[in-house]
Amino acid sequence: MHAQLPLFAARSSLRPADVAIRAAIVALTLSTAYIHSTLGGLLFTLNAAGYVVAAVAMIVPLTLAVRFRWIVRVGLIGYAATAIVAWAVMGPYYSTAYVAKVIEVALIVALVIDFARHDGSPVAVARRELASLTSLFGRGGTVAAGA
Amino acid sequence: MKRLTFTIGPIVLAAALAACSGGSAAADGSPVPAGHPSGATVTVVAKDLKFTTPAVRAKAGNPFTIAFDNQDGAPHNIAISDASGAKVFKGDIVAGRQVDYQVGPLPAGAYGFLCEVHPDMKGTLTVE
Repeated sequence: MHAQLPLFAARSSLRPADVAIRAAIVALTLSTAYIHSTLGGLLFTLNAAGYVVAAVAMIVPLTLAVRFRWIVRVGLIGYAATAIVAWAVMGPYYSTAYVAKVIEVALIVALVIDFARHDGSPVAVARRELASLTSLFGRGGTVAAGA
Repeated sequence: MKRLTFTIGPIVLAAALAACSGGSAAADGSPVPAGHPSGATVTVVAKDLKFTTPAVRAKAGNPFTIAFDNQDGAPHNIAISDASGAKVFKGDIVAGRQVDYQVGPLPAGAYGFLCEVHPDMKGTLTVE
């Protein structure tokens, strides 16, 4: 029988540096969300909404979100990188756009640092997840990890 | 194990929108209604993510002014392309205000213009 996961995760012990990095990630994410929300149009509004959802996912203490925080990190890195590449291809090139892109680059850097501190190398994460899947389907257990 | 309360409130950095004016006011008179070939000033209004004056005219071979009135809070500009798609003019991006764009003389022909921030916002410029 599978163990039932609690809705909320137990509080994790984050060091001050971890809290600072996480706060920076949320601040940077909400900043670029705000900029995109001021641009008008469906595409920019959806982009802003995506950033807000990601910011919430980075800190929400739900068990599932904590367990799979690494996916949120990787997803947000990809999201920001896609936004940068799309802008580089299509523009427009003006001051607010440059500010948004600097924020997104800083966001990616902060996310990479956060990933390295909490998840280690991507290979280690892949191994851990494979082990988790094996455990889940083989013995019906659950694996607790993440922060 | 020591427990650390992790509460982060929403932090939003306000990024200042660029406010670069495109040039000086029209030298010879007030804006004329769009659609009239004046050779001096044509007015283009942006509102609700549309150009309310999507078809404007200008005189061939004469510089002219586009009085661009962006009534949206969202940033807009006007970029003009010729029939081949080559950009012949690009105005500064502004939000919530009017700006005068000084456009150099253009040969007669059909041109398209759009907002570079919102490429769905389009209009036509007929130079004759």
